[in-house]
Amino acid sequence: MNLARQILKVPKNFLPNFLRPYSVAQLQQFNESETDKLYKLLELELRGNDPAVLRSFTKFAVTTGNHFDLQSKSWSIKKPHHERYTVLRCVHIYKKHRVQYEFRTYFAFVQYKYLTGSTADTLLEYIERNLPEGVALKATKVELQTLPEHLIPPSDIDQ
Amino acid sequence: MLEKILSSCKLSSVSKIIEHAPIQFNRRLLYTTPVHYKKQAGRYRVTHRGDFPLTYEMANPPHQIAHRKSWNSWNTSNIVGGVRPAETAVEDVFIRKFMSGTWHNLFVSEIIIKRQYNIIRIAGIIQRTVNPRKLYFLIGYTEELLSFWLQCPIKLELQTVAERKDVIYKYI
Repeated sequence: MNLARQILKVPKNFLPNFLRPYSVAQLQQFNESETDKLYKLLELELRGNDPAVLRSFTKFAVTTGNHFDLQSKSWSIKKPHHERYTVLRCVHIYKKHRVQYEFRTYFAFVQYKYLTGSTADTLLEYIERNLPEGVALKATKVELQTLPEHLIPPSDIDQ
Repeated sequence: MLEKILSSCKLSSVSKIIEHAPIQFNRRLLYTTPVHYKKQAGRYRVTHRGDFPLTYEMANPPHQIAHRKSWNSWNTSNIVGGVRPAETAVEDVFIRKFMSGTWHNLFVSEIIIKRQYNIIRIAGIIQRTVNPRKLYFLIGYTEELLSFWLQCPIKLELQTVAERKDVIYKYI
């Protein structure tokens, strides 16, 4: 951002919003004493209108996971969700003659197993930056935490 | 109007004028031919001379979308759970009108609009009839004004072609 300002010779607050570098994920402040979060599962749900685009992107996502040495896999639902409209073909009368339109939503899923918090953040950031137009992404993380101290399993009470 | 014509001509030629009078003069008709239920959207008729040029996009009728053709605007508004489909469509119409009007006769293909997050990327093929300096000005002008109007970053991704002939797929 400083470089951009120097090149354009522009005062500090003048740069418009979109020229500032943006980060999609909120990267957590990593203190020395804090340990990294552990994720059992990171699942991406992808939705799009074009199945070919989804297929290609899931391949890309799985390859990225493999480069991170993660267990990654993908699958997709063969049948899409149809939203159909049947409307009159003519402006005036001719009720028996209609036109049908439909929107199709195809689904694809990618799953990564057993990652740390920083790996998950980096991976998600990279995948989100490379998301193609016309594809929607929903990321779900399942975290692993240690059992809180006040919850004692019955086997330990007697001891 | 008929009176004017009549007054300016001799009586002998009046009958001839009435014979050749256009169909709107004092003649009201009912069109009794049956309605044609055939589809005619996005389809071009074969001409007698066979010299009407078609690009690949024009040559494939709308039922070939998702088979031989793909869409001209890419966004997530029409997906299950997608937001603002109407506003996106209106913005697309505005962008297309603006581009075809500002870039006079330069676009040789359809204008393709892609949305990724906040960024709108406008793509298309233009012909090299104009000075490169003018093109640089047009690119900057378009990006600046559109991003102000639509309140998000605009990026132009243009490809050039020497003449219009280079994108013609077939003649009809």
